Amino acid sequence: MSETRQHPGGGAMSVEEIEHELGSLRADEEGQPGLRASVLNLVVVTDDDNADRVTDEVARLAGRYPSRAILLISDPDEPEPETGPALDVGLSVFCEARGGQESRVCAEQITVHAGGATAGHLESIAGPLLIPDLPVFLFYPHGFDPASPELAGMSRLADRVIVDSAASEQPGECIRAVAGMLREEESPAFGDLQWVALSPWRSLLANLFEPPERAGMLQEVERVELKHAPDGTCRALLLIGWLADSLGWTIRQATESSDGREIHFVRPDGEEVLVSVSESSEPEEYLRRIRLYAGDYSFQVSRHREQTDARTTVMHGDELVGERTVHLGALDLSVLVGEELRYRGRDTAYEGALRKAEEVLEQ
Amino acid sequence: MAETTAQGAQSPDTEGLLRDDSRLPRMPEPAAIVIFGASGDLTSRKLVPALYDLAASRRLPMEFAVVGISRTEMSHDEFRQKLREGLEEQRPGKISEDVWDSFSKGIFYLPGDSKEPDTYKELKDFLANLDEERGTSGNRVFYLSSSPSLFPPIVEQLGEVGMNVQEGGYSRLVIEKPFGSDLQSAQYLNQEIKRHFDESQIYRIDHYLGKETVQNILALRFANGIFEPVWNQHYVDHVQITVAESDGVGDRGAFYEEAGALRDIVQNHVMQVLCLTAMEPPVAFDADSVRAEKVKVLKAVRPIPEDEVDRYAVRGQYDSGWVWGEKVPGYREEEDVAEDSTTETYAALKLLVDNWRWAGVPFYIRSGKRLPKKSTEIAIQFKQTPHTPFVGTRNLEPNVLVIRVQPEEGVSLKIGAKVPGAGFEVSSVNMDLLYGAAFLEEAPDAYQRLLLDMMLGDPTLFIRSDEAEGAWAILQPVLDGWSENGGEIAQYPAGEWGPQEAEELLEQDGREWRRP
Repeated sequence: MSETRQHPGGGAMSVEEIEHELGSLRADEEGQPGLRASVLNLVVVTDDDNADRVTDEVARLAGRYPSRAILLISDPDEPEPETGPALDVGLSVFCEARGGQESRVCAEQITVHAGGATAGHLESIAGPLLIPDLPVFLFYPHGFDPASPELAGMSRLADRVIVDSAASEQPGECIRAVAGMLREEESPAFGDLQWVALSPWRSLLANLFEPPERAGMLQEVERVELKHAPDGTCRALLLIGWLADSLGWTIRQATESSDGREIHFVRPDGEEVLVSVSESSEPEEYLRRIRLYAGDYSFQVSRHREQTDARTTVMHGDELVGERTVHLGALDLSVLVGEELRYRGRDTAYEGALRKAEEVLEQ
Repeated sequence: MAETTAQGAQSPDTEGLLRDDSRLPRMPEPAAIVIFGASGDLTSRKLVPALYDLAASRRLPMEFAVVGISRTEMSHDEFRQKLREGLEEQRPGKISEDVWDSFSKGIFYLPGDSKEPDTYKELKDFLANLDEERGTSGNRVFYLSSSPSLFPPIVEQLGEVGMNVQEGGYSRLVIEKPFGSDLQSAQYLNQEIKRHFDESQIYRIDHYLGKETVQNILALRFANGIFEPVWNQHYVDHVQITVAESDGVGDRGAFYEEAGALRDIVQNHVMQVLCLTAMEPPVAFDADSVRAEKVKVLKAVRPIPEDEVDRYAVRGQYDSGWVWGEKVPGYREEEDVAEDSTTETYAALKLLVDNWRWAGVPFYIRSGKRLPKKSTEIAIQFKQTPHTPFVGTRNLEPNVLVIRVQPEEGVSLKIGAKVPGAGFEVSSVNMDLLYGAAFLEEAPDAYQRLLLDMMLGDPTLFIRSDEAEGAWAILQPVLDGWSENGGEIAQYPAGEWGPQEAEELLEQDGREWRRP
């Protein structure tokens, strides 16, 4: 059974007052302290428009990754009050009864609304509130702007920055921005929710080529068809980028048309690979299917009737050689962020895919 | 003797091109798993649900098949239907029709007597066909889930038709516990199996080792530097290992009459927990290193003299009593149990590990049925401080580190803390860490973990032959002693922590059992 407790008032508070109040909120009606379980610090930067939704999502995440979540609502346009920094602090704890109700375990959320000039120095707020000795994840659930004033200071605090490339207004904008930041010396590690969501697809694709008799066909792939929904552009680009990076393809040309793009790659043996990426008008989520052709064989991973399932097939000409249906798994925001929180350090596979995706965008 | 190396022949140029990424899980090679005793409960309750979960979560290759064998006459479809019903019981509301359809196309059934050579000739042809039709690549797993008495003839017949040989694919043998019923039978079983299978092909499964919670004992000890300096006879007074169950024998009376607590739980689960608690740090978390250290512990356990069994071991049997508000019958009133049964439902032992680390530190172990609650824990009780400077402080308790395996996995440390106020009174406080609170992800079922490890060729969490025999060697004097003593067995009321004799086992050393 879970329970949410909130600090009744808002307004400005000192770090000491915040810590004291959180301790009080963890206690039950009889004053028994609840255990605090923390495996990480999660710092989320958002704006007024999205604050409520993000708060809900972070609360759901607390059920899976107990953490201190620091939600920073940035409003640089807000006028600066004369009395001091424009800070408004809210506190919540999410407690869950465990061990036959004998003990409760609590995760904490600190919400800080920072306006005016303070919004450009969010690191001065987040830094003192971090739990020591635990990793710090910085999450931008919406657009990610490498030029934002707070980013440099915030990314110095973070062990990993998590973005959602699909949240940017222009498809590809975030891919370019992250790729650019990764080229800088001392860049933090990055993760992208669109990349995390590709893991089942990548694993299924890899499995199609794992039987010894088919392993060699990976180097003979000559054509790829990928179909995605309008909001799946970033996911599609990263998937193609991953294939190209893993298989050593170099880009020769990419053209855009009304219903997608055609990309010409060159394999290590000098042969051409044609990748056709098209948008589906059907209301499917992100990726619809990917099909690879090698000689007389074709290999496909597609969403099944149930959107949470995937079907994989191997065809030899018109003959079905193998097929199966598996779960793709739930991929809501809290699951995707949760997956990203499992990793530390730089993700070389992601960075390779990102570079290739950027090359496609630059063509 | 079978060849020991024959893995898939993937081209080195292409192997893992797309899977070279820590985020993508390792995938087993294509394979067929043959289950002997397939009409039994284990197949429908544990094995197939675990395989279904693995398949649904993309942890099995597309080219995978299950072949069930037992004497019951059934068609492929009838077998699939039976497994489907079992799956519905085990995973109510969690079965996807499409995933089941896809998974069940790879399930087959061969009726046959596992003592008859013809069964194996048919099986061999059937598996060769599966290689063609489902691409199982010549890899075979033979899972012995039948009666233990059939293990030697099955292995013999597999050897006769050459299915033990690893040519063009692997051949692995999985054996369910019990690994024998005493030292002699365990040695015989190992000897018979090894006539046809190399040790590297054999996976003896004790599902306890597949539990995340048991593996966490290793994590606690070897991923945290603070414990190692005090994990020895200089600081530890004694260790208590408890595996308690509140259930009775239920409908397993006939089985339990043959087994008893010592064979059913102590020889395998408790001995494994003892090894993980007492072992030296392995140089690596791999099969050879981990299992070698466990065997060293078993070898270091001081043999119990046959004429002193009563000083070191206690057995008991539950009588009627109250458990969790319910009046429950005594063991001798259970179904398929003899009215004058002397089978022990409770066993407690005092063991000494004669090595540099543990010299003089007793390990008290106990396991029983119909105890007040289900609980598995390891309690490390540290020595008293040599001197207390706090004048007037009485009853200062020693530190105790408790590793709870179930039901609520975690660690607690009892420490002394000052009571607020004037003066300097010290009181014991428990600091609790619940692992489940920090990692709320659902842990995989033990069979899922172990089946996957086996298919990936990782035997770290399986029992090696010398481990099984080592555990039996420790218990053999107790089995012999109890066998000679005949009809006398202490009774304890259901819902209590064992017979009075068990209390006396510790009282003679000036100690007492913890209440888990």
